[in-house]
This record gives sequence, structure tokens and C-alpha cells, in this order.
Amino acid sequence: MSQAGIRWLQLGSVLAMLGVWEVVARAGWVDPLFVPAPSAVLGGFAAIGPAALAGLADTLTKTAIAYALSVLLGVAAGLVLGSLPRVSAALNPFVVALYGIPKILVLPWILLLLGFGTVPAIVYGTLHGFFPILVLVSGAVRDVDRHLLTVARAFGARPWQLYLKVILPAIVPSVLAAMRLGIVFCLLGVLVVEMFAGVRGIGHVLGSLANGFQAAPLFAATALVSAASIAIVLGLDAANERLSRWRG
Amino acid sequence: MSVALVRLGLLAALLAAWEIAARAGNPALYVPPSAALPALGALLALRSYPTLPAHFLLTLREVVAAYALAVAAGLAVGFGLGLNRTLGRAYGPILAALYAVPAVVWYPSLMLFFGLDAASKIAFGFLLGFFPITLAVLAGMRQVSAHLVTVARAFGAGPVTVFVKVMLPGMLFTLVGGLRTGLALSVIGVIVGEILGSKAGMGSLITHAYGLLRTADYVALVVVTLALIVGCDGAASLLERRAARWTA
Amino acid sequence: MAPHTPQRSERPGEAEALLDAADLIALEGVGKRYRTASGDVDAVRDVSLRVAEGEFCTIIGPSGCGKSTLLGMLGGLVAPDTGQVLIAGRPVAGPDPRRAATVFQDPGLFPWRSALENIAFGLEIQGVAAARRRAAAHELLGPLGLRAFADKYPRELSGGMRQRVAIGRALAIDAPIILMDEPFGALDEQTRTLMGEWLLDIWRRTGRTVIFVTHSLHEALALSTRVVVMTARPGRIKSVVELPMPYPRAMESPELVTLRAKLWSEIRDESLRAMQP
Repeated sequence: MSQAGIRWLQLGSVLAMLGVWEVVARAGWVDPLFVPAPSAVLGGFAAIGPAALAGLADTLTKTAIAYALSVLLGVAAGLVLGSLPRVSAALNPFVVALYGIPKILVLPWILLLLGFGTVPAIVYGTLHGFFPILVLVSGAVRDVDRHLLTVARAFGARPWQLYLKVILPAIVPSVLAAMRLGIVFCLLGVLVVEMFAGVRGIGHVLGSLANGFQAAPLFAATALVSAASIAIVLGLDAANERLSRWRG
Repeated sequence: MSVALVRLGLLAALLAAWEIAARAGNPALYVPPSAALPALGALLALRSYPTLPAHFLLTLREVVAAYALAVAAGLAVGFGLGLNRTLGRAYGPILAALYAVPAVVWYPSLMLFFGLDAASKIAFGFLLGFFPITLAVLAGMRQVSAHLVTVARAFGAGPVTVFVKVMLPGMLFTLVGGLRTGLALSVIGVIVGEILGSKAGMGSLITHAYGLLRTADYVALVVVTLALIVGCDGAASLLERRAARWTA
Repeated sequence: MAPHTPQRSERPGEAEALLDAADLIALEGVGKRYRTASGDVDAVRDVSLRVAEGEFCTIIGPSGCGKSTLLGMLGGLVAPDTGQVLIAGRPVAGPDPRRAATVFQDPGLFPWRSALENIAFGLEIQGVAAARRRAAAHELLGPLGLRAFADKYPRELSGGMRQRVAIGRALAIDAPIILMDEPFGALDEQTRTLMGEWLLDIWRRTGRTVIFVTHSLHEALALSTRVVVMTARPGRIKSVVELPMPYPRAMESPELVTLRAKLWSEIRDESLRAMQP
């Protein structure tokens, strides 16, 4: 099937699903209290719109700060660990343990320390984004083609030039991949804090709507966050592609 | 000095630093190892939370149910999309886009629909486990060498033989990796669900201890929950190692 | 054993201590031993060799005879355990692109740089201004036969083109010595022959001194002014042959056919020895 045909199939499937859902909901086969019809969700969006958008803006601001911190700290720590194989070997089990421990278990403790509000959300989001970036970047530094380093040394490159001219450009694809992975983790972390102990943000909005059994606005707000995160990830993918022409 | 010794030294230093720092701090916020161990003892002796076994088993049952559903649906959808080119091209990208949404945004809707009991945790654990399994099946099938398939066909193998003798062995490693990730995420999904809102299970005990500022008990509960998580992952890694031996 | 070089004057007394002005490169009793899991391996033992400016000196020998180690010492990437390596009378202490440029068997192009940017790499490391290094690299595109490919990335180039980019990168820094470690080893037969002819042309036009490591006897005979045959491990110099014939060489001439047979029997002995456990 042609690419255009695939697009039509995708669009048709989504529309068909929405249509079936609408019919099922209107026929009363599901309780509209729990599963509102798509048309009702649209109405829900009208009702919740401004509050949801303000909450989303708040969430995205916190996510952006957490993301910037994760990328900066993760890339820096990844460069250090990747460059020092002995240090990295000694620290590896700790990194794996910290990366592997579900962060949700330390969330209560973070809230005890930092209270409610913006700061714990940023810290928890950063914690989510930092480790995958660290692990990907340090692995990428370790895996830089030794031969390219030899070539650069043969041409008289000094240690700082090895970083600037070989290691940094070589790890760009991994950094981009890490950034793509990291954004979802950061957003996840911020949303979890907002849901668990938020006073603002779209996560808090989602939590209160669920507690208030307001299904239509809840579905609308959920669709809004999902669309926003898909748009962000697709944007990063596009940037990724443009920066990596040499990889083919 | 061997790496293992350095690691042990680091661990000891970390514990000592934690002990000293925690003793100086507020006991409601900082729990030194010397206080965590008695709390763990009290927990395991069923003094602090006499109903611990029931909660532990509930969480375990939720994990098993969520994971079983995730494996069944993940394999079915993965192979369905992988074996049919048109379906794969149409719905693969949609799945990948949905994977870019931090799954926790679905949780309020699940909580609304399934209520505060086990069902919403199973649903969330299922959702988290489903994606990596499906995507691993798709990735694994793409990995199978087209040349090997051609060779098998040239030797007269039919579709079933090709699937069993060429595709499965060729993708096994990726598939098992996805199954392991899926289990880890199902476990996290269940626990996140319990912490975000529930009346029973390890997560609910953790929020209970946190809410009452019983921080030492909270640490002990986290340790027990970690044991559950590590145990699940250990079982999965055994399976992975066996698969590695088959493919090697 | 110091091989004879035609340019050397016989001045007893001085010859031992001082380098002849014409000898650009001098290896004096160099040796290298590597530690491996299965014990120490003598890669190179007691090699002495002098190469005059403008020579095309080929080192040939069985696999693992230390040819690449020898080249690594000249390029400053490998430190000898014994003896010393002198270029223009001064010992080699590390990579020095002002004295020698290396071309590796794996071209080692930076995949994120275009052909032109790869050629300019050495100049960039030396801190040459962007416009000047671009101009210098551009000038090389013609002789390299890469004029239409300046902006292509390595993955968009054929194997022969990639190796020409790597050679261009070495030529660009204007080092008097070019060290080539089996540069055409990974290319197919036809490309290899054409690249040899092309390299010969470049060498004759630029007057650089080339140290060329190869497995191919044909390449050695077609290109070199001198061929050095090495023994199986530990690598030592087995023989040195001067090739005064003019270029382009008629490979079927009686002279070259005889030489070929002689060199082949030497290399064959050593290769057989290298295959013994």
C-alpha cells in the first residue's frame, strides 16, 4: 500500500474508533459517568479549556526547567564517567541501582524534605531525566571509535581537542537520543508530583477531575497533555533528523 | 586494589556518611541506618504493620495479573502488526506516538473507570508493561535477517517453518529483553498506582507511613517493596540468561 | 645491521655518531614488546633503517611482523622499548604533524564531517583560520579527484574515495613525511592499482618522503624506490632492495620479474614461518 494509503488507513481507523465509541456511549452500553462520548469530551474541553491550558503551561514550565537541569547534569556526568573507565567501573553498581530503583518509592521522602509545590516537582522531574541521560551519554563516550581518537592524536590533537573535535561530535546522536528519552521522563516525574501532591499544574487538574468524577473534562484534559507530549517528542525527532544527516 | 573492594569501601563510606548526617538532622526527615534496621525488624516481625503479608500478596497478585495481560496483549498486537505489513505500517507509528506520552496521564482516567481497588492498578500495570513488549516484538521481527529468511525459503521452508526456525530464534534475545522490561514496568505501574491512590497494597502502606510521618517505618516498607521489585527482576533475568544461551 | 643507502658518504669516525644530512629518517636498533594475555610478544626487535628525503620506501612482510608497529613509532603513536627513532636528527617523542602525517588502512574519516572538512582536519587542529584551511583543502580536491564530492559525508563515498580523502588529510598539513599503513589493503584489485598510479603521481609532484607498508608485492615493486623485507615475529629486517627503475614501470620487464621472484621467495619463507605455531 502506498504511503498516502497508509495515512488514509490511519485517519480512517481513528475516525472509525471515535465513531464506534460515540455510538456505544450514546446507546447507553457504557456508563457515561465513566466513559463519556467523544462529543461530550469536546464539550468537556470547552468547560475545562482555560484552566487546563493554564495548568499545562505551568506543568511545561516546570518540565522545561527539570529538563534543562537533567540534560546539563546528565551530559556533564556522562562525559566524566565515560572518560574515566576506572571511576566508572567502581561507581557502576551505584549508578545502576539509582537508575533502577523506581523513583516513586522516594517521592514521599522528597516531599517531606521539600514540601509541596514547584520545587519538588522540578527536583523529581530532574531525577527522572538525569539517569537515562547519564547512562546513555557515558556509554556513548566509552564507545567512541578508538581509531578516530588515534587518527586525531596522529594529527597532533591535544586532549581538549580530542573532546571538542572527536568525542563531542561523535556522541551527538546519543545525546539527542538521550534528550528524546529524557523529556518524556521529566514530564512523567513532574506529572506524578502534581498528581500526588500538587497544588497547580495539569497533573493536579487531572487528579482533581478524577476525584470529582468529571469524566468528560478529565478525558479532554488527558487528550490535551497527550497531544502536547506527542508534539514535543515529534519536534525533538525532527530536530534530531536534521542534526544527524551524516548518519544516513 | 580490586574494583570490588573500592565498591565495598564506597558503600561503607556512604552508609557511614548517611548515619552521621541523619543523626544530626530531624528524625522525622532523616532515618540513619541504625534506626532503619530496627524498623525493618519490627516490620518483618509484623509488629508495626501486622497486615503486611496480606498487602504484600495483594501487590504481588496485582503484578502477576497486570503482567499476564501485558504479555498476552503485547505478543498478540506485536505479532499481528509485525506479520502484516500494512497493519504494521499503519498502526506501528500510532503505537510509537502513544508510547511518547508519559503513561501516568492515563492513570486518573483508569482510576475513575476502575475505582480505587486492585482493578485500576492492574490496568495501569498492564498499560505500562504492554508497550515495551509490543515494541520489542516489532523490533525483534525487523531484526531478523531477510537473507536468512530467503535462504530458508530457498531450502523449501514454509511460512510456519520460517517463523519457528528462523524468525523466533533470530528475535528471541530482543523479545526476552522486552519481556523483562515489560515486567519491570508492570511492577512499577502497580506500585505507582497504589501510591497515587489506593486502600491496600504495599504502596498504600508507604503513603500511610509517610502521612503519619513514621519515617523509619516508611524506609522499612520501601526496603520490603524493593525486595519485591528486585525479586521480580531477578526472575526475569534468569529467563533472559537462559534465552541468551539458546541463541548463542 | 645498517642497510646501505646510496646517499651516505663514507666518513669514518663521524658516521657512527652523527646522522648524514641526507637521512631524513633514522631508526636505530628499535624494539617493541607487547604484553598480551598469553605472555609477552616481541613485535619488533633491533631494527635499524635510514631513509633519505624524497624516497618511496616500502616495508613488506608477513602478517604480524611489526610493520604497523614500526610505522606507529615513526608517527609517534608507539614508543619504542629499545633504540631510538630520529626524524631530521631529532628523536620522536610523540605525534608531530609538522614532521609526519599518517594514513591508516581504515581511513578513519570523521563521519560527521564532509570530505572537505575531513581534509582540513589537521589544519584545524593546528589552529589554521577557517578560510585558509578551507582554501587549502579545496586546492587538494582536484588532484584527489574529489572536486564533485567536497560536501559529501564519508558514508556517501566509495572505499577508494574515502581513502583519497584520508590521503588528502595527510597531504594538507604539508608534513615532509607521509606514513602509509596498508592504505589500499581494503580496496578491490582494480581500485587498488589505480590508486597506486595516482599515489605515484602525487608523490612525484609533491616530493614528499613516503614510508609505505603493504602486503602486496606488486604494489611494492610498482611504487617504491626501495623495498624493505621484514621477517616473521619478532620483526627484523631481512633484506633491503633498491629499485632504481624509472616510472611508470613495466612490470613484465626481465629485471622486475627476477626481483619479484627473489622477493617472493623471501616473503614466502617468512610467511610460512609466521604460520608455524
